[in-house]
Amino acid sequence: MVDADWEPKILAFCCNWCSYAGADAAGLERRQIPATVRVIRVMCSGRIDPAFVLMGFLEGADAVLVTGCHIGDCHYVDANYKTRNRYEFLKVLVKELGLDPERLQLRWISASEGPIFADMVREVTEKVKKLGPSPFRSVWKS
Amino acid sequence: MEVIDSYGMMEPRYYLAWATDEAIRARGANGGFVTALLVSALETQFIDLALVVKKKSVYEGVPVLTNDPEQVKESAGSLHGVPWNLAKLLLECAPDKRVGVPTKPCDARGIIELAKRRQIALDNVFLIGLNCGGTVHPLRMRELAAELYGLDPDTVQKEEITAGKLILRYEGEGGATQEKGLKIDELEQEGRGRRDACKSCTTKLPVMADLACGNWGVPKGEQKTFVEVLTDKGAAILENALNKGAITVEDATEQSIAVRAKIERAMQALAARWKDELDVLTDNSPSERLAFYTEQLQRCIHCGACKAVCPVCACDEDAKCLDLHDEQDAYAISLYNLLRILHLMDSCIHCGQCEEVCPVDIPLTLIQRRFSERMQAHLDYEPGMDVTETPPYQETKLRWSADAKTSESEGA
Repeated sequence: MVDADWEPKILAFCCNWCSYAGADAAGLERRQIPATVRVIRVMCSGRIDPAFVLMGFLEGADAVLVTGCHIGDCHYVDANYKTRNRYEFLKVLVKELGLDPERLQLRWISASEGPIFADMVREVTEKVKKLGPSPFRSVWKS
Repeated sequence: MEVIDSYGMMEPRYYLAWATDEAIRARGANGGFVTALLVSALETQFIDLALVVKKKSVYEGVPVLTNDPEQVKESAGSLHGVPWNLAKLLLECAPDKRVGVPTKPCDARGIIELAKRRQIALDNVFLIGLNCGGTVHPLRMRELAAELYGLDPDTVQKEEITAGKLILRYEGEGGATQEKGLKIDELEQEGRGRRDACKSCTTKLPVMADLACGNWGVPKGEQKTFVEVLTDKGAAILENALNKGAITVEDATEQSIAVRAKIERAMQALAARWKDELDVLTDNSPSERLAFYTEQLQRCIHCGACKAVCPVCACDEDAKCLDLHDEQDAYAISLYNLLRILHLMDSCIHCGQCEEVCPVDIPLTLIQRRFSERMQAHLDYEPGMDVTETPPYQETKLRWSADAKTSESEGA
């Protein structure tokens, strides 16, 4: 049974130009965001190696969010297309590995979409609370 | 010498062919066509080298890269104890050398995948494809001879598979040759026989090679090889042997072609059944899958052998899977294994080399297959079949770049 006090730990990769600024905007607008999210800023979502996502899960993250600029808006022209392609692989991998596919999310968030960032964190927190802690916590190598 | 530089796929052409030379015909399997083809190509300097598997014993063969036609003649005959993939051995030879390689379908697929990664110049490699029903590990075959056939493994002179039976010819009492056959189906139900990767392999005909050779579709009792010409390169090496008079060909009859296709379908149906049977994870819940993967992969000692033999992995020592892995990490599944799974998802050819060399016997064939089959179905892409076909995600990117260019010029 899930501990009533348990709060999920969600890892969010945010790109410097859009989604990090979006998260920043959410703060400036004084929007309430669950304290479940840990943001890692990267210069571009294309910098997010699939290994980072896997490491996140292996380290015990209950969900990993990959966020970046909308398709076509990438600061580095086409790098978020690569993100999208890598996500296709990770999605299949995570599902087959036995993790719930909801635990890995790819979202495009622009610099002005503070409310969307806040909604996303709330939504994912709710989902993960229902799913419970990541199974990787229970199979932790002793 | 004619230079062939296209991968052009031509209309398939079907022949029955055999070696004109009586000695080669008698020694080689099914009329010695492949041996005669390679010997004549070497003699006319159509190819510089041949990569052949030389028989070491009934159970085992060793790969030999040679320019000596005599060595090729010695390698004649079919063999089932060849559990390895030849693709990476081609990296040993200089890219400007023209090489002829008799390949199983998985060898050819490995070579094509390496060519896509710019490791092999496919223009210079002649893939003489061989029909393949599967291979047996030499040690398993010896065990089989000793335990199920009740023979001294060293007295066995010849193994052959005919009509669903594995027949061993051995030296009986008084020096007379005797033979004993057991049904392969029954052997394999007991977990003996072919390697797991071979049992569940559905690529039985080397349709990705230049020539597809084999005895399926050859009328009973005739010492001939059924040959399908698949590319211009294949046609060129065949023509070279014909000009030299090394082989004799006749057109295959409709019936031969139909019989061959029927055998292929039957083998594929059997392989599909094995695939289900060997997949211990069918119908398992996600948590059971995770427990299985974790339990199996935790036994990994990170020797790196599976990466070293993998015929589609072209990364060197600075590969990401080796680089990011740290022996001190306490991860449930190591990054080495997860990254290898990730990198092979679109390109695994299910040859089972990784499992073959694994010192702790992790069922890697099954694990890689579970992941890569799902990804390849998702991408609608089969690796190793066509060198011009790149993984679809690469095309997405290229297509998008082309679009971007047009919209830019329209805007200006």
